[in-house]
Amino acid sequence: MGLTITGYAQATGELRDVYDRQRERALPPAYRPAHGGVPGIIEAHSLDPALIPMVFGASATLNSVGPLSWPERELINALTSRLNQCLY
Amino acid sequence: MIDTPRAPITVTPRIGMLAELVIKVTEAPWSLSRTDRDRAHRSGLSDDDILQAIALSSYFGHLNRVADAVAVPLDYAVQRMPPPTDPNVPALAPATVAVTGRPALELVRRPPTAAALTAWRTYMFDRDAPLTRRSRTVIARWVALWLGDGGISAPADLTVNPIDDALRELAELVTLAPWQLGDQSFTRLRGAGFDDAQLFDVVAVASSTGVFSRITVALGSLARSGA
Repeated sequence: MGLTITGYAQATGELRDVYDRQRERALPPAYRPAHGGVPGIIEAHSLDPALIPMVFGASATLNSVGPLSWPERELINALTSRLNQCLY
Repeated sequence: MIDTPRAPITVTPRIGMLAELVIKVTEAPWSLSRTDRDRAHRSGLSDDDILQAIALSSYFGHLNRVADAVAVPLDYAVQRMPPPTDPNVPALAPATVAVTGRPALELVRRPPTAAALTAWRTYMFDRDAPLTRRSRTVIARWVALWLGDGGISAPADLTVNPIDDALRELAELVTLAPWQLGDQSFTRLRGAGFDDAQLFDVVAVASSTGVFSRITVALGSLARSGA
């Protein structure tokens, strides 16, 4: 049996509040999921709601600013995923 | 979207060097050396560029590990065949050295990132549930050992206890072969009574401390003379 994921639609209480705060963050349209919830990678952390602001707070300091350019940052992320055999 | 023939991609020395850094950070952060830093400078990368590349790649490795552990579905319809990922790729090799000493670059050159990682680290260790503090320490020490983080004590006689051994087994998969994670990876600890929140905590502690140790090791290795 795998680990539970609680999506935005099912979330209540602390998790829902955390998700709502993440949705309020400025996000380039390219990263906004069409399903209208929060990106799946945030939902992947749903078993530990308080971890979400820690992880995605760190993301903001690395993915949203330079000195590396946006394409360079995307290259780093994509290559890291590729090396880790991960499609996400 | 129409799939057009791809234009030839020109890989500049700068981009090629960024890719080389990412490969080493992901597969063997202890293998970086002063030579890599010098080559990066010659390729047009500044120390701040190098620092961001190391920190970002280490960070993204956490997202990969959590995505694999919970098997999160993709957000988007994939328009073309995704690149094949192979769960049979062998595990990464554990570190052959323990990196200590003054790093070539300090994370405090990037204050917001340093502050965010400190807050994250405090959150991971400064609580008693779902895992005990002792279990968190056990996991963090194993991860540090596998990644070559000589600043953290090596684990001592920790496999005597079957629970500790099962924690080590899952943490090892998360750290060295996250692409092999699957439902079966949790069977042993579930059998010992672990619930989903505790199992996720094992993944989160292993993956988070992996980010911290990976950055520490990569920045420390850049000060070492190369092979």
